[in-house]
Amino acid sequence: MSIFNGMNVSASALTAQRLRMDVVSANIANAETTRGKLVDGEWQPYQRKMVVMEPNQSSFASHLSKAMGSNEAINGVKVRAIIEDQTPFKLVYQPEHPDANEDGYIQLPNVDPLKEMIDLIGTTRSYEANVTALDAHKNMLLKALEIGR
Amino acid sequence: MELLNNSTTRLLQTALNSSMVRQQAISHNIANIDTPNYKAKNVVFENELQQAVANQRVKAYRTDSRHLEFGGHLNNMGTRVTERNNSQYNHNGNNVDIDLEMAELAKNQIYYNALIDRLNGRFNSIRTVLGQGR
Repeated sequence: MSIFNGMNVSASALTAQRLRMDVVSANIANAETTRGKLVDGEWQPYQRKMVVMEPNQSSFASHLSKAMGSNEAINGVKVRAIIEDQTPFKLVYQPEHPDANEDGYIQLPNVDPLKEMIDLIGTTRSYEANVTALDAHKNMLLKALEIGR
Repeated sequence: MELLNNSTTRLLQTALNSSMVRQQAISHNIANIDTPNYKAKNVVFENELQQAVANQRVKAYRTDSRHLEFGGHLNNMGTRVTERNNSQYNHNGNNVDIDLEMAELAKNQIYYNALIDRLNGRFNSIRTVLGQGR
């Protein structure tokens, strides 16, 4: 555990939130994409993606220190996986569309712009909170350099 | 009375260390604000320190003054990381209260600055003495 551990913790969160922001952007960008992936020769629309976060405790050192009864290792956060939203696609009647089925319906992605905007704002706020924490830690370290001045 | 390694300096040192641990715990809580089922971490220090100062706990029984002293030190004592398990703030099992964490962050920074200030005050006193009051 170095003195920069606190900064690494905040930095890991900044990385995670930035990835979350990327995923939100991808969802918004692909809100109308009808050709997300090819399944059995048929085009499936883009599926909404979400990030799964978990505390970063997978290292051997953190498990060892926990088993030894000392303070639990503090390692920040990481993105465990990017999963796909399984809610059904939207059906829109548009017979002239090249991806329409026999009945004239096309499948649109299960992206809800409202949800994405809420996620976007949440991500921004979390990012800001972590920047504040990082700044606080930096100021503490700088203050420590003043000992004995 | 020792000049540099006296109880005040040691206490300040311990307090600085634990303040740093608390800073890390707060950073960790803020980092995990969106993690499902994450429980906020808490650093307990001042109460434990008061207890430690009050009854000095275990101290080595020395039969010779040249024996090494152990126990009774305040160096690594008193800082414990605990988990707040009995509450839920969000629907995903997460109980990080961002307002509380930000307040704790500000408090901890001021506390840390105050400790540094006191330590510097102490060193300045020594410096005055060494400079024969000049």
